[in-house]
Amino acid sequence: MQPVGLCGVFVMSAVVKVWIDEGCIVCDACENICPEVFHVTDDTCIILDGIKPGEFSDDIIEAADACPVDVILFDLEGATEAPTEEAVAPTEEAPAPAPAPVEIQGEGALAEVMMGDRDLHLLFGSQSGNSEVLCAAIAKKAPDYGLIGHVHDMDGFDLSSMAGMKRVLIVCSTWGEGDQPDNAEDLFQAAKAASGLLTSTHFSVLALGDTSYEFYCESGKEWDKVLENLGGTRIAPRVDCDVDYDAPAAAWMGTALTRIACVDALGLYREELVDEMSSHAAGDSASLGAGEVATVAQPEIQLTASIFRYDPVSGETGTDSWACALPGHHSVLELLRTLKATQDGSLTFRDGGAEDPTTGVCVNGRLVLPGMVRLCDLVRNKGDGASIRIEPLPAYEVIRDLAVDLSTYENLRAASRPWFVGGDREGANTSQGVIGIMDASVASELHASNDVASPQLLHAASDTVPHNADYIGPALVGHLWNRSCDPRISDKSRTAIIETLADVGGVKAETDMSSIQRQGRMGRTGAANVLQAKNAALAHDGYNGRHGKHVWWFTWTVKSSGLLNETILAAQTMGPIGMVKNLPQMIRMTTGFTRTGGPIMRDKQSLLIAAGIPASIGKLPPLVNRAVDEHHEVVAIFNALDARF
Amino acid sequence: MAKGLRFAYYPGCVAQGSAREVEDAMQGLSRVLGLELLPMMGAACCGAGVMKQANWKLQAAINARTFSQAEAAGLDVLTPCASCQGNMHEDLVTLQGDAGLREEVNIILERVSGLRFEGTLRMRHLLQVLVEDIGLDVIRDKVVNPIDFPIAGYYGAPMQQEGACGEDDVYDPSYFEQLITALGGKPVDWDGRTSSVGFPGLLAEEKSAMKMTAAVLSEAKQEGAKIMATACPLSHVNLDTYQVKAGKVAGLDTSLPVIHLPELVAWALGCDVGRLAQLRTRALVIGD
Repeated sequence: MQPVGLCGVFVMSAVVKVWIDEGCIVCDACENICPEVFHVTDDTCIILDGIKPGEFSDDIIEAADACPVDVILFDLEGATEAPTEEAVAPTEEAPAPAPAPVEIQGEGALAEVMMGDRDLHLLFGSQSGNSEVLCAAIAKKAPDYGLIGHVHDMDGFDLSSMAGMKRVLIVCSTWGEGDQPDNAEDLFQAAKAASGLLTSTHFSVLALGDTSYEFYCESGKEWDKVLENLGGTRIAPRVDCDVDYDAPAAAWMGTALTRIACVDALGLYREELVDEMSSHAAGDSASLGAGEVATVAQPEIQLTASIFRYDPVSGETGTDSWACALPGHHSVLELLRTLKATQDGSLTFRDGGAEDPTTGVCVNGRLVLPGMVRLCDLVRNKGDGASIRIEPLPAYEVIRDLAVDLSTYENLRAASRPWFVGGDREGANTSQGVIGIMDASVASELHASNDVASPQLLHAASDTVPHNADYIGPALVGHLWNRSCDPRISDKSRTAIIETLADVGGVKAETDMSSIQRQGRMGRTGAANVLQAKNAALAHDGYNGRHGKHVWWFTWTVKSSGLLNETILAAQTMGPIGMVKNLPQMIRMTTGFTRTGGPIMRDKQSLLIAAGIPASIGKLPPLVNRAVDEHHEVVAIFNALDARF
Repeated sequence: MAKGLRFAYYPGCVAQGSAREVEDAMQGLSRVLGLELLPMMGAACCGAGVMKQANWKLQAAINARTFSQAEAAGLDVLTPCASCQGNMHEDLVTLQGDAGLREEVNIILERVSGLRFEGTLRMRHLLQVLVEDIGLDVIRDKVVNPIDFPIAGYYGAPMQQEGACGEDDVYDPSYFEQLITALGGKPVDWDGRTSSVGFPGLLAEEKSAMKMTAAVLSEAKQEGAKIMATACPLSHVNLDTYQVKAGKVAGLDTSLPVIHLPELVAWALGCDVGRLAQLRTRALVIGD
């Protein structure tokens, strides 16, 4: 029986065992749902002694579902798991479904080489997971070359099966003082002891290591030598990579894939087809998933890249500029990687996949995920040549250069308790059974309002966030609002969320939604959520308090004359005490004494306020507005759409 | 008759209230540059990003009424206020893109005013009209008193939205800087020019608004600005009237003369020489 978490939808069965994995953030969600089973202490959650899990199966499953860090694990009696999108990567123990056939699109000789066996076997020896990730990336790329990628964990791999393989690529890291990774040791020893095994196998090795160790990339070097000793044919030279392996690994991948794809079904290397294969792969969209589009090549751009630098040791800040020439379709992330690899290895930024939400930077004032935007879409030319300015995200402390500390967001997230707590579903066989039953339009709205590529990026979009440490920010406001709109949520949780939104640090702390809205589609989604959440929070408080009065009286004055009345708005919102506190500002406004001075006659007229003439003096706005022409039309529109005012 | 430089003029509430100097300057610069501004005496408040917090559809309907008045005159709307520009452009796009909402609003409009909103007009800010319609060369030729200071041009956040800022770049705009150069000044390059100063939260979230205001003023000063010109009379309230308080709350040096964009242009074109003299005295003689 395998422990199960939240990856699948379980059909029936009682929970026979429940336990807590490491990583509990003591959020109380589980105890709130099922206090009979869970007890949250100061630093973790424990399962109460003597409980019978089977009696609380539904609640345990619901608690596991609600757990934001998925540390509640349980065993089901006779569970069968339906496949989901979160199915884990295939392993030897759990074979993956056969990959879809590769469409053969080559012509002539290239078409011939692509017929028959097109399997590519990728073996990873990994301690930290990097080699495995690289193998998965190669497998994804393989269909571009007419290949079918199969990823194998070296642990448990049968060496004898390699004899029938025509194409093998190995990615292996080095552990400790030149040791093989734990999962590779047995296979390596077996390969070392064998001989003459590989008669028609072509191979290449990518070695991962760290130049700060004496035995740099030793494991990869050993595999390269052992495969050769076994009789294999090296199709591409081994490449040794330091800790920043992205660029050299990508280069190796291109070379190795192109050449090994020219090995035909008989195991013959067709070297004359390499160029044609390379062109074929570059123009082939076979590997693209649904909705993806092929890269459109753009002309090379000569540009000056100005990048913010910060050294935490010396405390110095500044800007480094480099003149570069890169294809326009390259991403900002590729620019940063290139600069780091070729110009300054100390350049620090958050690297990751193109859609990694934690990689955000600010480029020419625009908040972006650097892997998602092309240089040709961002480079500006103000007459002094093309340039690009890259800075760290606002709203976060800078750790070094472009890398920011995202813990402020994560702490606010934990404090705002944005996880989902489902409502009671009495009468249902299982709580999981009703999940997924929702009106389609509601589901679409919920999905749209939560469709934000990077909450960390959206958090930085608000100009208020850097100036109010208590404000949870637009991303969390939107997330909470989305939760509260979910019809499956419990009434208690919905009320708690609205109270959080209406509280200090909630949505009312946002001073100007336009700063959020200007950040593209993400910003518009975020601003729309903030607006709706604020509507709800103000209504929840009955338009009391400064925020409520501000909105109420603003709208009221518009109805009363068609125009905003600044004086009434200030008086009603701030009240007499607030007005007194802002007396210096009122005097500045009343006398027309701005820093540049107002029209002289108007300044003199302002002195007449002492004689009891109240309106339109100096910069003092009118106490009573003139009504706009046809003011009754404004009133009629108010009456038609909002009778509250 | 071709529209040319003829616009339905929407000054915004603050320009008719606490910032009537904007109106003075608009009259002067319009006369010199040949702008024909048709007053919209029946136009109501745009909502300023606040009214929609009570009822967004109500705000959209009120603005639809204003749009229908301009459309009846066959004119685009010109405003000197970046907040009005941003808010009205947002509602304009919403109404143009939502046929159901448009029809719902039009039923009410036809009943109360006999007008319909068709969505044929454009919202224009003065800055865009100066750069795109009149042209910087024309303005440069008409400059009488070059404003030869280092000037920080403040756009604010509401107008720097996709489609609301004309052909200028949303994130990295340059219209203000180009205009300052044409008027004889030296534009200051600073990031804060598109940042919000939190005007919609001034009365309710004052501490945040003060810190935001101080950050903008302080950065402009640090980058060498001697004066600041704003494209938004609402933000101007924070930047000017609340300037001292903002500096105290944030602990930053915020002392900087702040004028309106229409004043900058009007004074350079020879209007209100007395106030220009005051500015010179303030910036060059008194200093901070």
